[in-house]
Amino acid sequence: MWKYIVRRIISGLAVLLGVSVLTFSLTFFTPGDPARTILRKQMGGRSPSQAAIERFREANGLNDSIPVQYVNWVTDVMQGDLGASYHSETAVTTLIGQNLMPTVELAVAGLAVALVVAIPTGVISAVHKGGRLDYGSQVLALLGLSMPNFWLGYLLMLVFAVQLGVLPTHGFGTFGHLVLPAVTLGTGMAAVITRLLRSSMLEVLDEEYIQTARSKGLKERIVVYKHTLRNALIPVITIVGLQFGYLLNGAVIIEMVFQRPGLGSLLIDAIFARNYPVVQGLVLIVAVVFVVTNLLVDITYRYVDPRISLGGGGE
Amino acid sequence: MAGNKLNRRTVLKSAAAVGALSIAGCAENTSGNSSGVRIALNTDPTAEVWNTHGGITPYWTNVMEPLVWVNQEMDTEPWLATDWEQTSETTWEFAIREGVSFHNGDKLTADHVVYSFETLLSELAYAPGWLRLEGPESIVALDEYTVEFTTTEPFSVFPGNIAHNMVCIQHPDRNPDENRVIGTGPYQVDEVVVQQEVVTSSFDDYWNDAGQVDELVFEVIEDPNTRSLSLENDEIDIGMSPPRSQIDSLESNDGVEVARQETAGSCYGGFNLYDAPTDDPVLRRALNHAVDQQLIVDTILENVGSPARVPISPTIYWSAHDQVDPYEYDEDTASSLVEESAYGGEMITIVVPNDLVNGRDIAQVLLDDFTSVGVEAEIQMAERAQYSDLVRNGNGHLFLDTSGSNSGAADYVIYDSFHSDGDVNQRRYRNEETGVQNLGGEVDTLIEDGLQATESAVKEEKYVQAQERMKAQAVTLPVYYDEFVAAYQSGLEGVSFSPIPEFTSWTSLEK
Repeated sequence: MWKYIVRRIISGLAVLLGVSVLTFSLTFFTPGDPARTILRKQMGGRSPSQAAIERFREANGLNDSIPVQYVNWVTDVMQGDLGASYHSETAVTTLIGQNLMPTVELAVAGLAVALVVAIPTGVISAVHKGGRLDYGSQVLALLGLSMPNFWLGYLLMLVFAVQLGVLPTHGFGTFGHLVLPAVTLGTGMAAVITRLLRSSMLEVLDEEYIQTARSKGLKERIVVYKHTLRNALIPVITIVGLQFGYLLNGAVIIEMVFQRPGLGSLLIDAIFARNYPVVQGLVLIVAVVFVVTNLLVDITYRYVDPRISLGGGGE
Repeated sequence: MAGNKLNRRTVLKSAAAVGALSIAGCAENTSGNSSGVRIALNTDPTAEVWNTHGGITPYWTNVMEPLVWVNQEMDTEPWLATDWEQTSETTWEFAIREGVSFHNGDKLTADHVVYSFETLLSELAYAPGWLRLEGPESIVALDEYTVEFTTTEPFSVFPGNIAHNMVCIQHPDRNPDENRVIGTGPYQVDEVVVQQEVVTSSFDDYWNDAGQVDELVFEVIEDPNTRSLSLENDEIDIGMSPPRSQIDSLESNDGVEVARQETAGSCYGGFNLYDAPTDDPVLRRALNHAVDQQLIVDTILENVGSPARVPISPTIYWSAHDQVDPYEYDEDTASSLVEESAYGGEMITIVVPNDLVNGRDIAQVLLDDFTSVGVEAEIQMAERAQYSDLVRNGNGHLFLDTSGSNSGAADYVIYDSFHSDGDVNQRRYRNEETGVQNLGGEVDTLIEDGLQATESAVKEEKYVQAQERMKAQAVTLPVYYDEFVAAYQSGLEGVSFSPIPEFTSWTSLEK
């Protein structure tokens, strides 16, 4: 297994290199002068002088050729320096650090909501296939998938904040501030997992070993939760892993609606402000998150289903 | 042991109970602070761009103050400076107000002014060009209460230019890393929660009328719907810029008041005067007659703002709004003028920056109006930096954008856009001796005279004449004058906003 992990890490590094080249190229091939945009934003919409633009370009190395800028950036990254924001001296790593925990907190809470809702619903739906509970849960899953999450966010605010007055509309820092964003974020993912788990459960329930288990006289609860659910979870883990990657990369809309700090808002602000060091640093971190999450998902397979061999056999 | 074993039912019941208790716990304190006033801004008051100001925005918060203030008429008035005098073409002497205390108890002196300006010049790349000050020798303390500024060029609007919240006076002990902000304003900073809020309290030793509310909390809620819902939920007392679609319902809500203030901003299209077919003034007049600005205000803007006659907002005292007659909306007149013009069926490109609020919708109305009088048009949306290049290179025929002043020297609004050497026209003027939105000649001279005038009456006379000539030649297609809207709890009194809303003073606010 260690060989497999090392191989995956090497291929992951290649992916990161590709991502960095692509991000760097895209940001610099976008038309228009970033120096003018950044200074104009800082000046509240006023036009900066040509001298100010030149000074800014010089100070931030924007007069160097793009390959030189890229090599300088990669050299710094190898030393753990993602550069500093164009708007201040603040290091990109500091900005990411400030925004990472709120994002992780929201992603974990959203995932928890999704799993708490989706696993029982998916199981009940599969076990009662064709019954009212099944149709009911499928309708709910369809609703969860169809509702735009910003709309659901406003709806939850209207009910739980404005009408019932039990939760705040926005903000960050307490458990109460986390509830509505987590439910909003978790709803869509719960719908995906419910549908996936239902179909996966149905497949497994048709397997011969399940019929054998039943014929041995095992209780239905044991058959469903021990023998069926465990095997049906494998595709769910893949989706959860990938979805968690997306969540960590920032639930931008939810961060905006509930006014939460996070990596998503940071990235969007940086893109619009043409704050290249922040964009490049964040995209690199996002790529790392995806590479690591995928690796962890693959390793988790092994523990869920020991029949799965990592690295092409021999384990 | 068997009796103590947890079963599934017990676990589920416990989880449900914990969940219910947690939510019940959250139910406390979802509404705002009863003694202070919570103000929801649409931008982050702790954004990193404010490091130069100690880590919080100098706008809105009333913590730091400039030497010169801007009043409701968009004219300058003494503030931390009691008087100023131009002592030569490039030098200005400012008398600093005595008896002003910083929030840490120190008294304001000329050295603090020098420190504040030097900090701006060294930390903000654009400050030297903006302020026309270069290097430490350009700001000198002549004595304890007199500062001399030496500008890099004759700059008659220097006092108005520094009448800006960003050009505020700070104490050298400020520390952005610790969010320690030390100003002289009516409110002092108690707490800063990065990316969330700034808590301020009334400063007892304030030199002017002190704030009547003990505590002001400035928080960020970027989403306008969330701001509106937070106001309804009593979590905030004042919410800036509610969604336009909700203003009517907020106005009809008993517990909420809506304040409106015309700002120093406007939206207009600037014609490319040097490329066909918009180089023809007859066609430009036709296109002005073709557009129904009132319809744009009524529908797209949902009655926030008013139809424009000139590109300069009437809140700026030298706007020619009252002196010029508008090009009345009249399709027949527009069609006859199109016939009379040299227009030969060319496509007119309307260039719109993609960050212009409602820009595409407004451009679509213009396009429909142009088409209805027989002029073909297309819309080109452009990212802001690309837009800047397009307008400066004259790549397009009508450049739609907003313009406005955020300082006491609104002169740059007319100079940058309509003087041949202004920012918009300079590139083509210097390279090709043309430009984009500049008539040149007499208008350039009038703008220069207005810029150099130190008396308000002279400035007004010159700028009005320039605008009259621009209107006669239909240099622009004015669309609307901007209006700022805020919603607030009806229990508040003394809520009023400045034409530059960020300059709003909260000292008259009562709860």
